[in-house]
Amino acid sequence: MSKQEMIVRHKLFDRLCHWTIVVVGLVTFLTGFSFFYPSFQWLGGIVGTPQLAKVLHPFFGIAMCLLLGLLLIRYYHHNKWDKYDWPWMKAVVWVLLQKEENIPPVGHYNPGQKMLFRAFVIFVIAFIVTGVIMWQPYFAPMFEASTVNWATLIHAACAILMLIAIVVHFWMATWIEGSITGMLYGKVSKAWARKHHPAMLDDFKEEEK
Amino acid sequence: MAEQDIIRRSGTTDITPASQARVGGVKKVAKLFDATKCNGCKACQVACSEWNDLREEVGEFSGSYQNPPSLSPECWTLMKYNEIEDAGKLRWQFTHSACMHCADPACLKACSTAGAIIQRANGTVDFDSDKCIGCGYCASACPFDIPKISAKDNKAYKCTLCSDRTAVGLEPSCVKTCTTGALRYGTREDMLFYAEKRVEELKARGYKNAGLYNPEGVGGTAMMMIFHDINDPESYYMPKDPQVPMATEIRQDWLKPLGTAGLIATAAFALMHRITVGRNIVEEDQPGYIDAAAEKEEDSK
Repeated sequence: MSKQEMIVRHKLFDRLCHWTIVVVGLVTFLTGFSFFYPSFQWLGGIVGTPQLAKVLHPFFGIAMCLLLGLLLIRYYHHNKWDKYDWPWMKAVVWVLLQKEENIPPVGHYNPGQKMLFRAFVIFVIAFIVTGVIMWQPYFAPMFEASTVNWATLIHAACAILMLIAIVVHFWMATWIEGSITGMLYGKVSKAWARKHHPAMLDDFKEEEK
Repeated sequence: MAEQDIIRRSGTTDITPASQARVGGVKKVAKLFDATKCNGCKACQVACSEWNDLREEVGEFSGSYQNPPSLSPECWTLMKYNEIEDAGKLRWQFTHSACMHCADPACLKACSTAGAIIQRANGTVDFDSDKCIGCGYCASACPFDIPKISAKDNKAYKCTLCSDRTAVGLEPSCVKTCTTGALRYGTREDMLFYAEKRVEELKARGYKNAGLYNPEGVGGTAMMMIFHDINDPESYYMPKDPQVPMATEIRQDWLKPLGTAGLIATAAFALMHRITVGRNIVEEDQPGYIDAAAEKEEDSK
């Protein structure tokens, strides 16, 4: 690897943002998990007591959503659907089976990542809207009980779906070796880019000019 | 104190239920509110605040004797006043408004915390403030809009049916103080028997639609009401067909098992995939998808 030329994939600000979201999001998810599964209330113990978990969850949640929103805005231009995406999507089974000769090239992000991006946009909006509606004792009393109840259901459903999305995110990040160092230190090797995001190199060629 | 009269507790799976050893010797109780006998004196409301040591702030007059305007963390029993126009005449209808103590309580089903809401062997539903975290799920699930969350301490409050009195054989304080006999307390069986007789009597006196409000949608309630017109409970500010709300049922009965299965399935699939497909490592000299000549050219730059 040492001889390989390295290229920047994630800027410092985005990396700091990403790992802050990981920490804040971990607290948000563990406390939220404790409300959805009463038997796992001890997971909310990450912030002390169940009562503290209830008080702090919305604040951590807001922080998570705002930072995630910021990161989504910064990565928006990488996530537009383009000409590479359909052919890659059709070959997604080969991607999972690691039959690289059958995988068409993709750009900075592949369609799977772009779908994750879109899902996160929906989740951030849903969490903020439903979260405010169900926020006791500040905002919930302003709404009809049935509105709050539906908000609770949507909030929980989005949380479960997002958790599944995060499991996939974690799975892919740990599988495609080099991704995590890329997100930690910002750089990936050119060989890595060629293997996983070949069209990303075109962007660099243009930038170099 | 081991509370062995708790037969159902919130946030607890059926695999590990609350104590079930008792064989049913504890009789179900009920409070019966006879709206046809109530004169709106508010003695029940005051007795409730006296016994439970609650003092809701004195509000402002807004054209009704109803004060405070709704139940609150400091007001667990409220006398509601409804002005009805009947054949050109104005008539008052009074509702003794407090927890209905449902046999199938939506609050208990919705609760986020193990044991914060319990159902006793006698059928009453109680909150354990010590465990409550103030999420408000009970308040949004209750079809009668009863539990209220206090902004002072982030806890849910409602009528306990004076569980501290009934536990030692006393009647609830509202019943004790009722000036007209509109409130009664006893075994559920006795209250049903009394209600039947009373409804018959009302019918004989010309109230053809008189009836007992004991809504089936929530499995019946341990507070029952006798109305002049059972077909119009809304005129007493009571819902016509209260149910455990659909959103609560979906969350607890569908989202929870399906979501859990989805999570476990995804994690299991990911793990199997990692083990079977193996590592995905970039080889140092891997040419990737750019042909060798182009690569050489690029590298020489």
